[in-house]
Amino acid sequence: MAENIQKGIISGLIVGVVMLLLALVGFVNTSAQIISGLMGKTVENGTPASLLVFLAIVSFFGGMFAIRAPHHIAKSWAFVVVRSALSGLASGLIVGVFTWIIGTELASKVEMRAYLNALSPDNVRVMTVDQPALLAGLTIFGLLTAVSLASGVLWHLVTLAGIGRLITGVWTDTVSEVTSNPGVQRVASSKTTRYLVYAALILTLFVLPRTFNNFIIHTLGTVGIYVLIGLGLNIVVGLAGLLDLGYVAFFAVGSFVMALLTAPFPHNLLWSFWPVVPICIGVAGAIGVLLGVPVLRLRGDYLAIVTLGFGEIIRILIKSDDMAWLTNGPKGVTNVGQPILFGQKFNSELDFFYMIVLGAMAVIFVTNRLEHSRVGRSWIAIREDETVARAMGINTWFYKLLAFGIGAAFAGLGGALVASRSLFVGPEDYTLLVSINVLALVIVGGMGSIPGVILGAFVLKGIPELLRDLDQYRVLFFGILLVVMMILRPQGIWPAQRRRLEMARDDEPVDLTQSAEGAAK
Amino acid sequence: MTEVAVRGRATRRFSAFRIVQIVVGAAVGGFIIWRLLFLVVTGQYGPEFWARILIGGLIIGAVYALIAIGYTLVYGILRMINFAHGEVFMTGTFGGYFVLEGLGAIIVDPATGTNFRDAFPVVAILVAFAVGIAVSLSVAFMLEQIAYRPLRKAPRLIPLISAIGASFFLQNLFQLIFGAQRRLYPNPTSLNAHLGLVFDINGSSVIIPYTGALTFVLAVTLMAALYTLVQRTRLGRAMRAVAEDKQTAALMGIDVDRVISQTFLISGSLAGAAAVMWGLHYGQISFFIGFTPGIKAFTADVLGGIGNIPGAMLGAMLIGLIEAIGPAVLGINPQLKDVIAFMVLVLVLLFRPSGILGEVLSEEKV
Repeated sequence: MAENIQKGIISGLIVGVVMLLLALVGFVNTSAQIISGLMGKTVENGTPASLLVFLAIVSFFGGMFAIRAPHHIAKSWAFVVVRSALSGLASGLIVGVFTWIIGTELASKVEMRAYLNALSPDNVRVMTVDQPALLAGLTIFGLLTAVSLASGVLWHLVTLAGIGRLITGVWTDTVSEVTSNPGVQRVASSKTTRYLVYAALILTLFVLPRTFNNFIIHTLGTVGIYVLIGLGLNIVVGLAGLLDLGYVAFFAVGSFVMALLTAPFPHNLLWSFWPVVPICIGVAGAIGVLLGVPVLRLRGDYLAIVTLGFGEIIRILIKSDDMAWLTNGPKGVTNVGQPILFGQKFNSELDFFYMIVLGAMAVIFVTNRLEHSRVGRSWIAIREDETVARAMGINTWFYKLLAFGIGAAFAGLGGALVASRSLFVGPEDYTLLVSINVLALVIVGGMGSIPGVILGAFVLKGIPELLRDLDQYRVLFFGILLVVMMILRPQGIWPAQRRRLEMARDDEPVDLTQSAEGAAK
Repeated sequence: MTEVAVRGRATRRFSAFRIVQIVVGAAVGGFIIWRLLFLVVTGQYGPEFWARILIGGLIIGAVYALIAIGYTLVYGILRMINFAHGEVFMTGTFGGYFVLEGLGAIIVDPATGTNFRDAFPVVAILVAFAVGIAVSLSVAFMLEQIAYRPLRKAPRLIPLISAIGASFFLQNLFQLIFGAQRRLYPNPTSLNAHLGLVFDINGSSVIIPYTGALTFVLAVTLMAALYTLVQRTRLGRAMRAVAEDKQTAALMGIDVDRVISQTFLISGSLAGAAAVMWGLHYGQISFFIGFTPGIKAFTADVLGGIGNIPGAMLGAMLIGLIEAIGPAVLGINPQLKDVIAFMVLVLVLLFRPSGILGEVLSEEKV
């Protein structure tokens, strides 16, 4: 019992602090606004009702969190009730007192916003459910306690009834029945099926977007760009195991080469789009090799910091007044050239989308061929153990440079397309954040895995583009995601076969039959 | 036959790297010598200019040193770069800021309107340091518990990525909670940023700001204290043992997890102290402030030899001086000041990856 009490209070404190942080970053109000939209009418900062709904949802998960326990522990009713109720009480106390305090401050007209950005009077009014401070605090305290207890009891009932097991059981049974059917297996593994799937995919990619509106096409294009450069970084990080945090530098180089060669100002070269694309790829690749030469003797974390330094150097140089004669300094370059195909302008969102898809497909093709060639195997050997790789006669320096160069070249292609698509390049678009973005999608998708990178780009770039309301929390979310992924699933959502085996921790048994299959492939 | 081929390739690779070293070394060295000669011949800057730069460089170097020691302690024990250390520093600046703001709001003498901060500057500064240190220390502690501890046994890239995630999380959390604007550090009036000891060199006055003097003295004291702690106390011995070999240390009865936690506490408190000094001396803070000092402190570590505490101090002082002198010596725009530190990092890694005082690391460690 003592343990239940202790654990319940600790869970409650954690839930309470999380809620407090959500309130302080303004997430509570943003969510309330979205919920108010779902409830009928979008009200900025949310309505009291929508706020209570949001708090109830969080508290519901809080109750679930409070009664978590390893599978082998049988939960008694006392366990469930004590933990969920105490958790609700503790979190309710924290959030209730917070509400009471901000309500009192609001009533005495203190300008809280000067210190805490999210506590604008409008937000606080919603947070205190339009009631006097003490009443609001008590309401929220009661709500959180009740919901947490109810949630604990509900989940316990669900477990007792075995509903969860019923659903997953039926699902896995069906899946295993279908996949173990020899006919299905034969069809699934045949080449014809594979080509049919490819054909259908390509057809969808080219035909379906014609029916979308420009915003969706633009978003898909952005996702495509990130697939493209993500695959480049995937070669560097995923295959060769070189953590590059300055990847944005090559992206910037691609963009700026495109911009400077095609724009009317500052150089008035006005080259046409098509010949410049290979130049961008080439220059970015060459700079990748050049930067790689001094740093590739380093490993792991050193390399990460040095490449980060390079990324910053390139951005600072582009921005500085000393280089303004070349790059137009902080103002950036406008009116970047646009592609012209057969005398026609080829610059609508859809046209760019096609180009991006073609580029991405080319990159996927190259990566795939490289990965399963001598080069790819050398990269993987270097990633696994550089000393051994060298002992096996692999010229590690050459292959690392190659990975750096190819990765940079892909980024250069992405940069060129982006520059032309958005008509403008400015140094502030190429910050460290872009590198982290790309790195996050490679890692979340699965290092070294092509479908993983594509999936990662959709999850990390596509979904946030569509959820514009939550845009300000994107980086916060990335940070949490990186940490959580590393702890729970370091191999990514869709791991590469080899990665999956390697990432298995020492304490987890490795499925040897699978590893044998992997080796046979 | 194959043997010859292998040897041939190895020599070729070696020489390629040598060529890069020689070319880069000659270019950089030649440029610096040329600039120095140029400066000596033209006499462009007088001694008062160099004195000012020296003062500024030593002060910033002292702040970097405290941050750099944090990196080095953690690296020595876990062999990982605590990428979020710059953010630990940043949280500390906010801790001190809110204390000074809060004390500034308490009026002790209604007649003159004097507030507590100006009436008792020593107390105010002490409380600011205490709170700044407490904030940084708790952040460092939680960071280790949440983001690093579960990954102790994972391959080396994994905790680094987790650290990057934590760093971005902290940065954005502070941006969202406290806003993106820059905030002016509310110094007590007696510690105003342009008050100081004034000297007369070559007919023009050179000032040593009180905040700078405070920063330098305090930083040196803390470094001495830390050095004593690591060399003389039980905890220090345990830390050195764990850094040497975790398993053996555990067999000798050292609680390794506890020592690692304590190391993070120490590195966090040094960062917290550095943070309040930074706020007092430079006067402006924002959520983004941890990034550049973090990278520069890391550069200082590499320069001095990572994992080596005196190396971190020496490296940080050197980085501070190089950064202060650099724009003048190289004759470049001060905008590019940050580039100099990065260039130093690259040059060190190119010519002496083990740093000035570092042991010659085996390839495993580099």
